[in-house]
Amino acid sequence: MLIKRTERQARRGMLAAALGTQSAGSIDRRTFLRRSGLAAGGLAAVGALPLTSVRKADAAGSAPGAGATIRKNICTHCSVGCTLIAEVSNGVWVGQEPGWDSPINRGSHCAKGAATRELVHGDRRLKYPMKLVNGQWTRISWDVAINEIGDKMMAIRAKSGADSVYWLGSAKFTNEGAYLNRKFAAFWGTNNSDHQARICHSTTVAGVANTWGYGAMTNSYTDIRNSKTIMIMGGNPAEAHPVSLQHVLEGKQSQRANMIVIDPRMTRTAAHATEYVRLRSGTDIPVIYGMLWHIFKNGGEDKQFIEQRVYGMDDIRKEVEKWTPEEVERVTGVPGAQLERVAKMFATEKPSTLIWCMGVTQHTVGTANVRALCILLLATGNVGAPGTGANIFRGHTNVQGATDLGLDIATLPLYYGLAEPAWRHWSRVWEVPYDWFVSRFDKITAADGKESNTMQVPGIPSTRWFDATLSEQKDVSQKDNIKAMMVFGHGGNTVTRMPKAQEGVEKLELLVVADPHPTTWAALAPARKDNTYLLPIATSYETAGSRTASNRAIQWGEQIVKPIFESKDDNEVMYLLAKKLGFADTMFKNIKVENNVPSPEDILRESNRGGWSTGYCGQSPERLKTHMANQKDFDMLTQKAASGPNTGDYYGLPWPCWGTPEYKHPGTPLLYNTNLSVKEGGGTFRARFGVEREETLADGSKRKVSLLGNGYYSKDSEIKDGYPEFTLGVLKKLGWDKDLTEAEMAVINKINPTTPDAVSWAIDLSGGIQRVAIEHGCVPYGNGKARANAFGLPDAIPTHREPIYTPRPELVAKYPTLPNRREFRMPNVGFDVQKAAAEKGVAKQFPLILTSGRLVEYEGGGEETRSNKWLAELQQDMFIEINPGDASERGIKDGQWVWVTGAEHQSKARMKALVTERVGKGVTWCPFHFAGWFQGVDQRGNYPKGADPIVLGESVNTLTTYGFDPVTGMQEPKATLCQVRAA
Amino acid sequence: MAGLFANARFIVAALALALIVGVAAPAGAQQRNSDNSVNPTASAVKEDQLLNALKSGPGGGDSISGRVSIPDQKSGNLIQPAGQAWRAFHEGALHWLAAIAILGMLAVLVVFYLMRGMVKLENGRSGRSIVRFNAFERGVHWMTAGCFIVLAITGLNISFGKSLLLPLFGADAFAAWSQWGKYAHNYLSFPFTLGVVLMLLMWVANNIPNGVDIAWIKRGGGIVGNDHPPAYKFNAGQKVIYWIVVLGGGCVATTGYFLMFPFYGTDIAGMQLAQVIHATVAVLFIAAMIAHIYIGSIGMDGFSRSRPAAA
Amino acid sequence: MARMKFLCDADRCIECNACVTACKNEHEVPWGINRRRVVTINDGKPGERSVSMACMHCTDAPCAAVCPVNCFYTTADAVVLHSKDLCIGCGYCFYACPFGAPQYPKVGNFGSRGKMDKCTFCAGGPEADHSKEEYEKYGSNRLAEGKLPLCAEMCSTKSLLAGDGDIIAQIYKERVVRRGYGSGAWGWKTAYKESIAT
Repeated sequence: MLIKRTERQARRGMLAAALGTQSAGSIDRRTFLRRSGLAAGGLAAVGALPLTSVRKADAAGSAPGAGATIRKNICTHCSVGCTLIAEVSNGVWVGQEPGWDSPINRGSHCAKGAATRELVHGDRRLKYPMKLVNGQWTRISWDVAINEIGDKMMAIRAKSGADSVYWLGSAKFTNEGAYLNRKFAAFWGTNNSDHQARICHSTTVAGVANTWGYGAMTNSYTDIRNSKTIMIMGGNPAEAHPVSLQHVLEGKQSQRANMIVIDPRMTRTAAHATEYVRLRSGTDIPVIYGMLWHIFKNGGEDKQFIEQRVYGMDDIRKEVEKWTPEEVERVTGVPGAQLERVAKMFATEKPSTLIWCMGVTQHTVGTANVRALCILLLATGNVGAPGTGANIFRGHTNVQGATDLGLDIATLPLYYGLAEPAWRHWSRVWEVPYDWFVSRFDKITAADGKESNTMQVPGIPSTRWFDATLSEQKDVSQKDNIKAMMVFGHGGNTVTRMPKAQEGVEKLELLVVADPHPTTWAALAPARKDNTYLLPIATSYETAGSRTASNRAIQWGEQIVKPIFESKDDNEVMYLLAKKLGFADTMFKNIKVENNVPSPEDILRESNRGGWSTGYCGQSPERLKTHMANQKDFDMLTQKAASGPNTGDYYGLPWPCWGTPEYKHPGTPLLYNTNLSVKEGGGTFRARFGVEREETLADGSKRKVSLLGNGYYSKDSEIKDGYPEFTLGVLKKLGWDKDLTEAEMAVINKINPTTPDAVSWAIDLSGGIQRVAIEHGCVPYGNGKARANAFGLPDAIPTHREPIYTPRPELVAKYPTLPNRREFRMPNVGFDVQKAAAEKGVAKQFPLILTSGRLVEYEGGGEETRSNKWLAELQQDMFIEINPGDASERGIKDGQWVWVTGAEHQSKARMKALVTERVGKGVTWCPFHFAGWFQGVDQRGNYPKGADPIVLGESVNTLTTYGFDPVTGMQEPKATLCQVRAA
Repeated sequence: MAGLFANARFIVAALALALIVGVAAPAGAQQRNSDNSVNPTASAVKEDQLLNALKSGPGGGDSISGRVSIPDQKSGNLIQPAGQAWRAFHEGALHWLAAIAILGMLAVLVVFYLMRGMVKLENGRSGRSIVRFNAFERGVHWMTAGCFIVLAITGLNISFGKSLLLPLFGADAFAAWSQWGKYAHNYLSFPFTLGVVLMLLMWVANNIPNGVDIAWIKRGGGIVGNDHPPAYKFNAGQKVIYWIVVLGGGCVATTGYFLMFPFYGTDIAGMQLAQVIHATVAVLFIAAMIAHIYIGSIGMDGFSRSRPAAA
Repeated sequence: MARMKFLCDADRCIECNACVTACKNEHEVPWGINRRRVVTINDGKPGERSVSMACMHCTDAPCAAVCPVNCFYTTADAVVLHSKDLCIGCGYCFYACPFGAPQYPKVGNFGSRGKMDKCTFCAGGPEADHSKEEYEKYGSNRLAEGKLPLCAEMCSTKSLLAGDGDIIAQIYKERVVRRGYGSGAWGWKTAYKESIAT
């Protein structure tokens, strides 16, 4: 019954090696305790206990011969960054062992991490390139595939322009893959380049970056152990980031920390909370303001912190005054006394940290939600120190990295934006003339008749690709509609409004899915008969390269095994496509390519050369590899190496890691930490929003207010106050320009020969400006204030707005969504939709709130994990959680089949009912990982034979509805309406 | 004898449980804050609490159970102390019961035989034999009887083989024998059950107890006194055997099938109960059949010639 | 010798099922057989706790007591193992086991039981350590390699502890003292007739 893998035999040979100097078959105390899960700190307590002895290995039984090779990579299923230890024998991955040395996961995994091996050797993978020929999947060669795809792309380009081809990338790319994909889009000539971050944390990135400078987790997973109050809002890390709970629960244990969970659903995380707050979906801002109301009223805010480091808190106070406890309870349903207690806890039992996930971000008010959370942290002075901060848990191995490296419609790699200086910067890095890029983009005529091109115009978000396919051409502000989707590692069921997606897939002129699995894209629309290609891509485990975890630490993963079957990795496929399209030589001019495979090390070195803005410049492949090889030297709590070749470095050189690799900056474990000098990883809030702002007062008079830090600075700073970002000009004013070397000056002069003074720290390719600023104890990006008032955003002061489909239509008049507007080349008619829904009484027809979330066994669209037999066995049916009260009203029993109907498109989905008190009355919840059934139809036959996932089910996004965040185009899958009836 | 008590309690609890539908959820004492909100950590269920709730009787449920995501819902049983009671029955009470019933019956028969010897026909043979049972009926009887003997031996082997035979056979040979025994037990259950059903249909009319049986019983079936007690086709003694076979056989068959097809229409508690009934009834059944065999063979003259002469 | 035990600290268990898939991965356990599983008590209610459960390797193991063919044996580390060569698939161990540990592959159309399979504490079976036969029947033998069961080694929150009973009891005790609460060493009373005083 147990299947023998003959290779298993060989791995036994590693026994001797693994035990090293220890006597065979026994383990020493340290190993034992570690394996027992005891923290090093507890060693002393059990000192008196007898040593464990373990059964002696039977020497005769151990297979001699070749030992298995150990290779390290990073689990791809969330952003914690767990080290995977793979045992490889004869090119086959034969076993997984705990990675004890990792200072992040310390050997631990969740269900997915512990089942990773099956993903590589699983038999449900796409094995060779295929295309649809009159509705039949047909095997083709790579050559044919690349040629046909290239020809069709060129034909579409000729007819409809470069912007008609959409590049949907992946958070499972390595950093190198992500960077190449964005670079590819630039070379192709479009900003329609996006990835999963759009639908998970785009609003976080926008909200956080617009508050204090950078769009990332400020602290780290392990730092949560330092917190005294841990507040988790709109997140269920017990299922989405299980290993993070190790640190949360350790913190709860060792600090006796408060653990507050605010969620519409009593999750597995909430079960371990000391305080569970149930709110109505989509009312995060009122809850936060409800807390701030008490905090301001009782003087619980950190006045000094606000005075020195925050701009615009008084504007927040005004808004908060409206949110009296009565109004908060009326809108959110949270008991006033509980919220008061929670507010007090958060403001007084410090350090406090705030953890959030997609329950906060996936809303039409996502960015404003995030901003409100940041404001709570700022008001209580909980940013920039151990145990504090915005601990944003992201969803894939490299969703942080892919975001950083610019898989985004609104920026080039590393947040340079799309304006001309950004393009010129990357042109210099890529050593390609700026004008060549100009020539690649479509020409457009603006409303005022001015000729321009789309080079500086943000693209279409992935949430709306099908709107851009299906809309009338005049509604899409580019040369033509989206005609081709180039999908690299992105599910087809992760975007809301799937009935429209199905129509969109049908209408595309070209669909290319480059993925280890066929994915929902291949199966969703059976009406599609031709012009569809499936390219088998290696999993991340078959690719070497770097990955950025949520805490900004970058880890180098080795290729565990060669790509199996006919798979190729993303980098190779992009190279082949570039070759076909004729720009490979230019695009890869500084990257070594062997057998069509670009060197990941060279790609990283290239991005290092351009990554000054985010401190992605110091993490050379050599440094990262040394970190991986010496994980044991790093302390788990501080992430700092106390010995070994990386002494003084923080694990994974969390960005910003300033200067060139040779400058040996240790990385920044905590953003904005003024207790460390910049050289040691310290910093201040970023002076990103100018040096001053003109405010109009009530009487109409104007005044200028400084946006720079007020009397605060990071340790060892020679400037004891706020300061702007560094340019050569600033250095000159300070007289520090003399510290620049001749070589550095030469580079600076070459960048801007006419006005070298304007060359800033971010575009200085020599790294000299950064180096000099840091040597004087200053942060290259300046020392500014964080913005409580984020002027320039649609809701500069976060404002509560009811969900488009709200169960409380009577609140719409007071808290309407934003007016209709155009954004990202498309119209957003959310206001009309909300108004119509309220007027038509949709909430009566669909009385239940529908919200969605993650299961521990699956990830994302789930095609990969539902194809893994070890995981698929654990969740075999799509289900909807429904409260016992709602279930009995409808005569629904636990485990019974039900029809769920959605508020748009007359959508319906058949799934099982899970009757549980996890959800409150009037609320339902669905996991979002299922696909392969569509409105009651089993689509298994639409997959290529043998590549269908083991488990199929209805997608919750068949039922989800319209609504987009104004800043990022984020969709709204967390607060909509549905009805449930027995099937 | 402690085992017997434990066993009795087990059976009572199991029976009571079988009647109770639904699982009584262990109601954790939820610690509520002053504002009626809950502290999940403080109100966490504790194992002690739940175990105590189980002890308080069948109302507390038969196991500590919860939700699992896999389809195998029986895996939701986390801790089922009833297994311990079942073990006590199987390794304790059952041994006593079997010893008393089977060895007791053998002892009684030996004593009886020594006292009375073979009961002779009063007037010797008439030289004429009457066809009481046709070939089909005889076939059914012997099919059932043959199956019964194999089922009895293999059944006893499952419960007592490890004490009696394992030391003689050795582990491997005993396991092989037991494996074949299990197959035989499972497969022969079908013809056995068929036989019992046929017997029920063929002979039920002649086995309805009536007044004559009372007289027969009063005279102890002839043991008391020296005359021949009255009877129709089946005397009261035969009727008793008949009903033991039909009811006992029906009972072991039903419970046996519950055990053979695990979790079809029952759960772990039901299967434990089924096994208890199966083993108890089987042991008594075997004892009764030993008596039946005794009477039909050395206990009563004429057995060997009760067949009709070859036609 | 050490007395090997499992301990699931339910105040840390988050039902992540790593233990379940780690077991599948290490031993190539087929679909439908769950040597380890996670049960959530009071699901969705305040007071909810999840417990990872497998064979607890009981002291005076009920499975061994009721086995008609005596196929169970206890190793020097107090790990309860069995011989699939001797097992006849009767199901008695399942009736007796307090933890629902024994699993039976379904053979035939009516779900008849094949040879019993259960958690081995990653200690293989009666065959020679690391032999092909041992791996095929019972999975890998980590204990003989000086490693502990992979389920516990990979546990996401270090909730599931495996190892010398005294040491893991000490770890648990320390945790309870440190954090001030504990829902109990689930199954210890039943399996080992002892509780951890805290």
